Amino acid sequence: MRVVVAAPQVPFEQGGAEVMADDLVAALRTRGHEAELVTIPFKWYPGTRVLDQAFLWRLVDLTESNGRPIDRVIATKFPAYCVRHPNKVAWVLHQFRQAYDYDRTDLGQFSESPEDRATRQAVARLDRIALGEARKVFATSRNVADRLRRFNGIEAEILPHPPQALPYREAEPEGFVLSVNRLDRAKRVDLLIEAAKQRGLPVVVVGDGPDRERLEGLANGSVTFAGRVGSDELADLYARCSALYYAPIDEDFGMGPYEAFLSGKPVVTTTDAGGPLEVVRDRETGLVVAPGAGEIAEACSYLTTHVDDAKAWGRAGRAIAERVTWDACVDALLS
Amino acid sequence: MRVAYYSPLPPSRSGIADYSALLLPALRERIEVVVAEPGKRAPDADVALYHVGNDPDAHGWIVDALERRPGVVVLHEYVLHHLIAGITIGRGDGRGYLEAMERELGVPGRLLGLGVLDNLLPLLWETQPERFPLSGTVLDRAHGLIVHSRYVGERARAAGYAGRLWRVPHPSWPMHAVEPAADVHGDPLIGCFGFLNMNKRIPELLEAFAAFRRTRPGARLLLVGAAGERFDVERRLERLGLTEGVERLDYVPEERMWSLMAACDVLVNLRYPTMGETSGSVIRALSLGRPLVVSDVGWFAELPDDVVLKVPVDEHEVDVIEAALGVAADHGAPLGRAAAAYVAREHDLARVADAYVAALEVAAGGDAVDDAVLWRIAEAAAEAGIDDVSELARAARDAGIVS
Repeated sequence: MRVVVAAPQVPFEQGGAEVMADDLVAALRTRGHEAELVTIPFKWYPGTRVLDQAFLWRLVDLTESNGRPIDRVIATKFPAYCVRHPNKVAWVLHQFRQAYDYDRTDLGQFSESPEDRATRQAVARLDRIALGEARKVFATSRNVADRLRRFNGIEAEILPHPPQALPYREAEPEGFVLSVNRLDRAKRVDLLIEAAKQRGLPVVVVGDGPDRERLEGLANGSVTFAGRVGSDELADLYARCSALYYAPIDEDFGMGPYEAFLSGKPVVTTTDAGGPLEVVRDRETGLVVAPGAGEIAEACSYLTTHVDDAKAWGRAGRAIAERVTWDACVDALLS
Repeated sequence: MRVAYYSPLPPSRSGIADYSALLLPALRERIEVVVAEPGKRAPDADVALYHVGNDPDAHGWIVDALERRPGVVVLHEYVLHHLIAGITIGRGDGRGYLEAMERELGVPGRLLGLGVLDNLLPLLWETQPERFPLSGTVLDRAHGLIVHSRYVGERARAAGYAGRLWRVPHPSWPMHAVEPAADVHGDPLIGCFGFLNMNKRIPELLEAFAAFRRTRPGARLLLVGAAGERFDVERRLERLGLTEGVERLDYVPEERMWSLMAACDVLVNLRYPTMGETSGSVIRALSLGRPLVVSDVGWFAELPDDVVLKVPVDEHEVDVIEAALGVAADHGAPLGRAAAAYVAREHDLARVADAYVAALEVAAGGDAVDDAVLWRIAEAAAEAGIDDVSELARAARDAGIVS
């Protein structure tokens, strides 16, 4: 089958969505399909610019390439899923959240002006049209599926995707808590830094992003910032940590817990973290606490000092993560 | 964003006043709303929302305000002849009436209007308003249109309305525990609520009920609502020998109405001709999970088949009403359950308020958004040497990018 994976790309940014799109292309090729990633740079501001981007995707003709038909398009995010194709499947990592659950919060982008309000409605209308055209809509988590139903009345089948391929291994915990995230405010790494300062917890923060400078200032030397690291180093950090901290605000899916689980490590998350709560279960695969520095400090301390519980919960998590495979995903997406 | 809200409100006794009393608090949770009042200065707002019904006393001032400033119209019923006659002839403006008639029917309309003004023809808004809806005057000034039914939407389009149109269901009242009234009885007890007149098919209902009662002598019919001026209910009851089997109540307060409805085994809400209206009584009946018999016309016909029993308006109407009463009384439980689930799903107040906000936000800012996007498309097209940007504008419209 000739398959296009359609995904937007924010130049110079790399996160879970980009990893997932690359891995999907690789998984398709491994299984004997011709697969290609098609992307358009995404700039969603100011004002109505977000609609220009959707229009670009609407104009792209992916029905064939160089005279040969394209059998299937798998689109992952807004506005890529606005592309038109008779065999379009949407595998939604997330919608344009500024128009939905982020609206009228610090993370939103639309003001109360009539033009901004109408732009937000135009995004919702486009979602209904574009996702309504898809032969099937999948969501990477129940959280994403719930938003599609709540905001757009669209039913989606839940299809989680495997985390990035790393040389996962297990090792004895060395007493530090790991955070692996793009560093922006929504990931709430600041809560972990506050927790680390309260208890003197060893913490390693992996990742880069627009919030890094603020976070480094907040940590004031109490936390190790490793920046972006390679696959081997990341797998090594997962293997040696005592637990992963992963508590974005209402995250869509979150690969972090799966990566930690495949390394046999439990996860600390918060009651409002969204997608991660579908796999991080309190005292089964990690600890789920209120989103406060004190509670997070308590949970992290527990896992660094109760090694047997941490190991047992990490293994329970691994059993969950191992059930999510590319074979199952590719079968569902091409069926 | 701020909305100027034009509607009759309680204590005005109208379905639209009840409607607004229900909707307003939910809207205010989502958007800034300023309620306009008759005789006062129009509120400053980004968009105005006009609730329009057929009663000139309740809605005349709202149409006046719409004349001064176009906005989003909620067309609660499609036939507005009575309203238009009230705000033209009723104010000594015969010429305005003729213009409205001419707009709808051309020269023949003007001639018919002259016949009415000269007392050569009966008053059309009383005798056959459905043939001359006269909604064009309102549609011409609507910057956007909210309707409750496909029926009204289609009629507005057929009348030439080409602007934005949203279909927003009538909201349902949040359900609370309702104690069935203990002072009304029947085996079964049939209820009919609302203004009593020919349009509500009361003569046909009474005839069907009389036949029904011959096989079910314990049955009683509860008629709740004021009777029309030229509609003598009591005489009809006497003629049909129904003085024992029918209980009449005039206007009742809201809480009492709920408890009376809850006491009924079957509810009936018939209509013909339809003016394109929805019915708050129907929504209440469905919310209560009571089996309901309606006429198979207009908005009522759009209710799902597993939720209500629909009676076609034809020569068998009376027989079918009688049969439907029996079916609803003896086998109505699944119908009632489906009705309650349907209303909770489709007529949920929060969902309706969200739909209103979406419509108002698009009405207030949609043109500016479309202009901004189309301008950039045109600019890029021109720079790329594409002269005919109208093709790209069409593509943007087809693609759902602009509305």
